[in-house]
Amino acid sequence: MLWVDKYRPKTLDKVLIHEEIAQNLKKLVTEQDCPHLLFYGPSGSGKKTLIMALLRQIFGASADKVKVENKNWKVDAGTRTIDVELTTMSSTHHVELSPSDAGFQDRYVVQEIIKEMAKNRPIDTKGKKGFKVLVLNEVDKLSREAQHSLRRTMEKYSSSCRLILCCNSSSKVTEAIRSRCLNMRINAPTEGEIAKVLEFIGKKEGLQLPSGFSDRIAQQSNRSLRRAILSFETCRVQQYPFTINQAIPPMDWEEYVSEIASSIFKEQSPKRLFEVRGKLYELLINCIPPEIILKRLLSELLKKLDMELKHEISHWAAYYEHRLRLGQKAIFHLEAFVAKFMSIYKGFLIETFG
Amino acid sequence: MSQDIRKWFMKKHEKDSGNGSASNQAKPSTPEKRPGKMVEEVQELSGRRKTSKYFAKDGQGVKDEMDVEEAPAKKTAKELVSNVKPPTGKRTLKLENDDDDDDFAPTSRKSSVSITPNKKLKSGSGKGVAQKIADETNEDDGEKIKSNSKSGGSGRGRGAKGSSKTSSMAESMDVDEVDAEDVDNKDAESMKPAGRGRGGRGAGAAAGGRGRGGGGRGGFMNFGERKDPPHKGEKEVPEGAANCLDGLTFVISGTLDSLEREEAEDLIKRHGGRVTGSISKKTNYLLCDEDIGGRKSEKAKELGTAFLTEDGLFDIIRSSNKSKPAAQVPNKRVDKVATPAPKKSPQKSEKTKQAGSDTKGPVSVAASPKRKNQPAAQTSLPWTEKYRPKVPNDIVGNQSLVKQLHDWLVSWNEQFLNTGKKEKGKKQSDSGPKKAVLLSGTPGIGKTTSAKLISQMLGFQAIEVNASDSRGKADAKIQKGIGGSTSNSVKELVSNESLSHKMERTQQQKTVLIMDEVDGMSAGDRGGVADLIASIKISKVPIICICNDRYSQKLKSLMNYCLLLSFRKPTKQQMAKRLSHIAKAEGIQVNEIALEELAERSNGDIRMAINQLQYMSLSMSVIKFDDIKQRLQSSSKDEDISPFTAVDKLFGFNAGKLRMDERIDLSMSDPDLVPLLIQENYINYRPSSAGKDDNGMKRMSLIARAAESIGDGDIINVQIRRYRQWQLSQFGSLTSCIIPAALLHGSREILEQGERNFNRFGGWLGKNSTMGKNYRLLEDLHVHLLTSRESDLGRATIRLDCLTLLLKRLTDPLRVLPKDEAVETVVKFMDSYSISMEDYDTIVEMSKFKGHPNPLDGIQPAVKAALTRAYNKGSSLRVVRAADLVTISNFKKAPKKRIAAMLEPLEGSLAEENEEGTPSDDENQDDDLDDLKKKSVESNLESLNSKAIKVELELKGSGSSGAKKAPAGRGKGSAATATSNQRAGRGSGSGSGSASKRKR
Repeated sequence: MLWVDKYRPKTLDKVLIHEEIAQNLKKLVTEQDCPHLLFYGPSGSGKKTLIMALLRQIFGASADKVKVENKNWKVDAGTRTIDVELTTMSSTHHVELSPSDAGFQDRYVVQEIIKEMAKNRPIDTKGKKGFKVLVLNEVDKLSREAQHSLRRTMEKYSSSCRLILCCNSSSKVTEAIRSRCLNMRINAPTEGEIAKVLEFIGKKEGLQLPSGFSDRIAQQSNRSLRRAILSFETCRVQQYPFTINQAIPPMDWEEYVSEIASSIFKEQSPKRLFEVRGKLYELLINCIPPEIILKRLLSELLKKLDMELKHEISHWAAYYEHRLRLGQKAIFHLEAFVAKFMSIYKGFLIETFG
Repeated sequence: MSQDIRKWFMKKHEKDSGNGSASNQAKPSTPEKRPGKMVEEVQELSGRRKTSKYFAKDGQGVKDEMDVEEAPAKKTAKELVSNVKPPTGKRTLKLENDDDDDDFAPTSRKSSVSITPNKKLKSGSGKGVAQKIADETNEDDGEKIKSNSKSGGSGRGRGAKGSSKTSSMAESMDVDEVDAEDVDNKDAESMKPAGRGRGGRGAGAAAGGRGRGGGGRGGFMNFGERKDPPHKGEKEVPEGAANCLDGLTFVISGTLDSLEREEAEDLIKRHGGRVTGSISKKTNYLLCDEDIGGRKSEKAKELGTAFLTEDGLFDIIRSSNKSKPAAQVPNKRVDKVATPAPKKSPQKSEKTKQAGSDTKGPVSVAASPKRKNQPAAQTSLPWTEKYRPKVPNDIVGNQSLVKQLHDWLVSWNEQFLNTGKKEKGKKQSDSGPKKAVLLSGTPGIGKTTSAKLISQMLGFQAIEVNASDSRGKADAKIQKGIGGSTSNSVKELVSNESLSHKMERTQQQKTVLIMDEVDGMSAGDRGGVADLIASIKISKVPIICICNDRYSQKLKSLMNYCLLLSFRKPTKQQMAKRLSHIAKAEGIQVNEIALEELAERSNGDIRMAINQLQYMSLSMSVIKFDDIKQRLQSSSKDEDISPFTAVDKLFGFNAGKLRMDERIDLSMSDPDLVPLLIQENYINYRPSSAGKDDNGMKRMSLIARAAESIGDGDIINVQIRRYRQWQLSQFGSLTSCIIPAALLHGSREILEQGERNFNRFGGWLGKNSTMGKNYRLLEDLHVHLLTSRESDLGRATIRLDCLTLLLKRLTDPLRVLPKDEAVETVVKFMDSYSISMEDYDTIVEMSKFKGHPNPLDGIQPAVKAALTRAYNKGSSLRVVRAADLVTISNFKKAPKKRIAAMLEPLEGSLAEENEEGTPSDDENQDDDLDDLKKKSVESNLESLNSKAIKVELELKGSGSSGAKKAPAGRGKGSAATATSNQRAGRGSGSGSGSASKRKR
């Protein structure tokens, strides 16, 4: 069992970071009816952990009896019926799913599920909570339509159903939804906090941590606790008695992206662009989300980029990310960004060095 | 009508010839000089070429040989010329006038044909005939033309030209040729870049010594085998006078220097030349740029065909353009050697020649009045009707089938009526003559026409039932004669004995039923085919069925009852012949090459070809190759353009000349695939618009713009598909295809070593499906992780964050630990997360990056196999994965029973493993403590252990014998087993204590 899972706090009382939030949440659900909630924050900050702990707080142990199933919904959309298939995880009290997996048909998923939940109210009397909870992951990836349909149903079925939304960026959630929810901003833990957690784990595992080792991992983790714990364990697997300057292995795909970045720097030519395309395809095929690729690529590029160009390149990255989301074929936009970068950078080089 | 035309022709010609002779007489002397001058120039030209590389010294000798080899007809013609030659000038003029008469007065022409003994005359008559196609009586002459043209490429080319120009022009040609011949004889070594006919041949013969070869044959279809032109698109393609290659026949072989095969062919055709597939005597040039030594070149050497390089071709064309009066005309004239006829003074010839070759202007001027003169009797009848064949021989192609149909129809009555009604059924079953006939073939090749024509000819009354009539199954009772729908009348017709009896008696009004478009019997005609078969069985009249697709499923049953006649597409020559008849009758000037192109483009559909011709005749009276090409480009969208062709065209070197609607047509030819192909290949093109671009900056920024535009296309595509904004589709194709292509069109280059220089298929489709597959696999893994005690990692998180560690946990032990221990460790870990063997592969697969070491490197295949075995052995014990109800683990009071029920452990080990899943279980607490205590011991053991492995690895690395290795491995293995449990336990978490305890 991975340490991430092993040392995940199970209750609101046990959380190590965001303690304040956890306490507030506890008060919220024990003292009064729970409103709709929107958790947002960067990945690895503990949103999911908090949500699960919260569910346990509300429903008790029955929240742990979950089943995972592939659900099929047949949605009657006017002229045709649409088949939507999604993996859901549900207990008697809650359903958790990522509607954005349904692609552009997420709207139907949202509508159907909420209707379904509203239809069968929990019969569980001893649970005495008169509502079920719907946990929606990655709401920021929901299409605009889905978000719009969500906003009406949120109100309509609010008597029987609470929504817990979870996303990385609240800016991609429409204003209307944000205003209907209690927004919980979950910060990325500071490096100090991460180091603290790592040391806690190390102690539990009975490992001897060289001084500063946890700090180094924390630094590299990009303030993602999960990343930190995972790479901590990776280090552990790689070499146990830790040495002071043990290399912390990067993620395979990140390594690959930085290779792409350096190859872009080396040469700006159609030939190189073609090679980069192949590499980007490679990343996409390995299920790396295109937005992440673009983001990572940008940060790799910015590392070595001349100060003058940073602003412009960031602008274009944002531009192409926007288009990436509007479009469907990610590679087109990634490639367009690379081409744009090459063109700008080449121009810059020629101008500077002749 | 034909009368009219003939009259009109005569009038016209009288006028023309009058003019011609007048002008001839006016200046009879000037032309005399011309040949000489021209020869000089020719020599000069040839000299230039000589300096190039090919010219063998013995050019003269070769040429002489060539002459010997030439077709006898030609030779005699030449002889004739040389005989007649010396006295040129006035005498020729006289002769020529005679010829004029011959040509245009049908009566006298005939006589002249019979009188004049030689080739020249023959060709003359041929020409004359060409103008009078409409005249049905000219069948024979037509034949003659054919034979004529067969006898030599030059003759044929001339024929074509004759038809394309006004007759006076054609005639002047003759004069020209005479002169040319004259020159040719005088200066044997004359070298004509713009070689035509014999002149060209001479040159070719000289060049033959070069020993250049042509490559293997092959049409465009398999051009994939051919290399790309080495300097593709680098040379400027010259524009020459319209007909400067008139009458020349080319064969292209091998890879040319800069032109694609197709481009070269176009170029030649545009200038009036003809391109054939294989070398024959008619061939003037073999166009090739490298010596492949294939069949073509061998044959060319054998036949003495001239070899021509691409540059040579360009020179010919260029020179035709550059020196209109000075160089080109002489060249031209020298070339025009084809038919020697001592005729006409050259003066006129020059004039007309200039008119013909330089610009179309004068010709069209000359033509337009003619058109005005044309009797307004041009009825509004479509030409397809107007020139519908009147006799079976008029039918283009498929003559044998027509004959068969004819015979069948003739014998029908005896076959079926005289034998008595009762025997019919029996007749049907044996393989004897069929009662009906099924004509099949693509549209517009004359099926219906032949059927009608034959029946008409044999005196049958044709009753046609086609798709416009309802042809459903007749009511059963209707058979008894109640009128109604057509089918009923059909039944009535075929079964009407009295009618047939009457027909038999009178022998004059026989009937034939033509069932047109039987494969079109569809929804509305339920049971139509079955009914038709029934009708055939009882029929007392012959039935001709016509269909397009003979292999249609619907007609399967029908085929058993019919004599099958499959019409084939007529060849383009056949069609061109017919078309030129029509063109002539309508007074349009088209050369044969153009008509062949038309025939080819219309894909054997003569009806369409005629329609096109008529349409074009509305706007122009002189139709050139380019016109047809251009015109039919738009109409050829009816046939399929493959996405590859479309992309080739869009990115082509000359794509800048495409019209917008053409581009849209191209990109719309497959609105899904073309953008993908564009996207895949746009990087490969070196944009011609960037011009000189030393640092590649321009190209890079063009690529960036194109890429952005392609991105736009994607966004628009989303709008179209997702929100059904189909009105955007044009804009979509604009952004996704046209803009990138417009920015980057040029010549293609390869970016990868060993890549073929052809557009790749869009990679997106494949990659996307692989990506989809991987996402599915990842989802499986995700679900498995969820169903294990682990819960809430998102799919993306698993990929982004956890995969590296998972992989490490799954593969590192296999590399480091001894086999058994490693396998056990890994299987345990897999079980703890419900990772199946497929998931294992998924994880490995997804961690593979091109250019990175394979994650499985360094793992012995034996170990991997052992892992699979070990996993499979335990597989009967794992029911978990299928079960969908699993508790979230690690929760304090997880109901144990529940888990047990879910996991259904059959063995103690697994049960314990499940218990490990709840590490904070009371009973496990002690174990945990135990575990901690043992830590130090264990680590010692472990270090020892790893050392052992190191030893083993070294042994293996040093390549020592297997005998040595085995014991070492075993010993270590046993040593390690003690620790293995503990270690495994540690690996899989604190719960391992129970496992180790058990083992203990």
